[in-house]
Amino acid sequence: MSKDILKGSKILLVEDEESLAMGLRYNLTEEGYSVTWVKNGKEAIKKFDSVEFDLMILDIMLPHVDGFEVAQYVRERNPQIPILMLTAMTRTEDKIKGLELGADDYVAKPFHLDELLLRIKGMLRRKAWYKTAAGLQPVFRFGDNEINFEDLTCTRGEHKFRLTPHEAMALKYLLDNKGKIVSRKELLEKVWDISSEIETRTIDNFIVRLRKYIEPDPSKPIYIKSIRGAGYMFSE
Amino acid sequence: MNKRNSLYYYILVFILAQVAWLGLLGLWIYWYVSNYLIFEQVGEKLSPQINLDSPNLFIFIGGIILIAAVAFGISFIFRNLSVQLKLTRLYDNFISNVTHELKSPLASIQLYLETLSARRVSDSDRKKFLELMLKDTGRLNSLINSILEIPKSEQKKVAHDYHVYDADAIINTLLRETAEQFQLTGKAFKIEGKALCRCVVDPKALKIVFDNLVDNAIKYSGKTINITVKINSGLKKLLIDFCDKGIGINHNDQKKIFKKFQRVYRKDIPNVKGTGLGLYWVREIINSHGGKISVISEGKDKGTTFKIELPIYQVSKKHYINYLLKLTRKREKEREVIDE
Repeated sequence: MSKDILKGSKILLVEDEESLAMGLRYNLTEEGYSVTWVKNGKEAIKKFDSVEFDLMILDIMLPHVDGFEVAQYVRERNPQIPILMLTAMTRTEDKIKGLELGADDYVAKPFHLDELLLRIKGMLRRKAWYKTAAGLQPVFRFGDNEINFEDLTCTRGEHKFRLTPHEAMALKYLLDNKGKIVSRKELLEKVWDISSEIETRTIDNFIVRLRKYIEPDPSKPIYIKSIRGAGYMFSE
Repeated sequence: MNKRNSLYYYILVFILAQVAWLGLLGLWIYWYVSNYLIFEQVGEKLSPQINLDSPNLFIFIGGIILIAAVAFGISFIFRNLSVQLKLTRLYDNFISNVTHELKSPLASIQLYLETLSARRVSDSDRKKFLELMLKDTGRLNSLINSILEIPKSEQKKVAHDYHVYDADAIINTLLRETAEQFQLTGKAFKIEGKALCRCVVDPKALKIVFDNLVDNAIKYSGKTINITVKINSGLKKLLIDFCDKGIGINHNDQKKIFKKFQRVYRKDIPNVKGTGLGLYWVREIINSHGGKISVISEGKDKGTTFKIELPIYQVSKKHYINYLLKLTRKREKEREVIDE
């Protein structure tokens, strides 16, 4: 995927630290993105409702409405927009909370500029890839399940679940490799673009969640099977 | 979650301890009563004149006193423990706030340094970046200072620099410096009144007080900042009132805000960053000047007024003020000796 497609991507930057935000805006603009900067959670929600963005960079400690609430609000309305949390909070609980509320990545302050820019590029690239991949075969059925990769929903009988982009991508990758063993490392590389913050244990948590959505009995999985010492395999 | 569990754990241990010693007491009483009957029979046979009734009351009262002492001791320990727990919680909060306050400017400085080394930045941008970095280092400096100075002022180890000043002149000078630092002009910052008296202050410390109060007023004021400082001299006291038209302080929180590490978290007020040290430090400084600080707010969105009272030189608190001046002279002499 050429870099030019990503140029002009619209990024919503939510950061109340003025000097940090100005530096980020400068760098992102230099990379060719179009940046909108807001200083608090309330404005972020307002902007999100009125303009369509390709990516969101979100601080957690914000005046009025905090980053967690913003992430939750955004996820409920748009399952696909990538959210990058950028924060000085480094407790594991905060990280987990952020990721659970639907953030796709988590970068701790202080950060390296190169790393941040690469992650943003990766997220935007995946979003673009995802749009084309989902476009080819948007709906996938197996057993009772119907997965719609366009609006990121999973329907099992009467139950309907919302998938996060990462869950959807992990599931899509397993489906595309039906009958083959997929290692945790492979999933990390393909779905998360090997970000050092994510541990293989996180993958297991994702699989547990996916099983809850698609398996009739999550404790005895029939679709996503664990292969001891190797990884996971999808089979019908 | 963890802390709540540990509190339950302490309560459980407390209850178990009570049960254990009450059980032991019960066991003793049972043993005593069952043996007493035998003793009585044996005693009567051996020497009928022994009177076993008299020490009973003594033992009974002694026992009650001992029980009360043990109960008091345990509840005392328990109370101390819960105070400690509360402090630990406040301290944890403080650490996470300080971490945040330290990391934010650091992140910004690192970002600019990496930007400057990786990109070709125009001269005007370079100048802007350098200014922003300096602002961040200033912020780091004042935070580190507050963390290092507060323990010193608690132990009365601060080398305060007290001198006699014309109150009006020194307060106006310091207030203007503060206004300039926060870039407040026109309606945003007004000074009213006059104080025709002399006072003894440490200008550096008083500046910290003004900076903190103005910084708070800005933080809790929303978009339009409107700060009025009213200076007035009473009969014995010099009065400085900081009034803002910000979000105000809830009555219950007014008592809390001067306490160490204490921060007000409420859903309806903006989540403003800070360490919980600012107003504590302000109060410490004013107290060491022999003064008082209090807060008045009629409630939400009604604005806040911080009232500072400082003693007028040679009118009130003469002994204490003279002591401060003597202390400063002594320190200056020591410094001269070292310099020579």
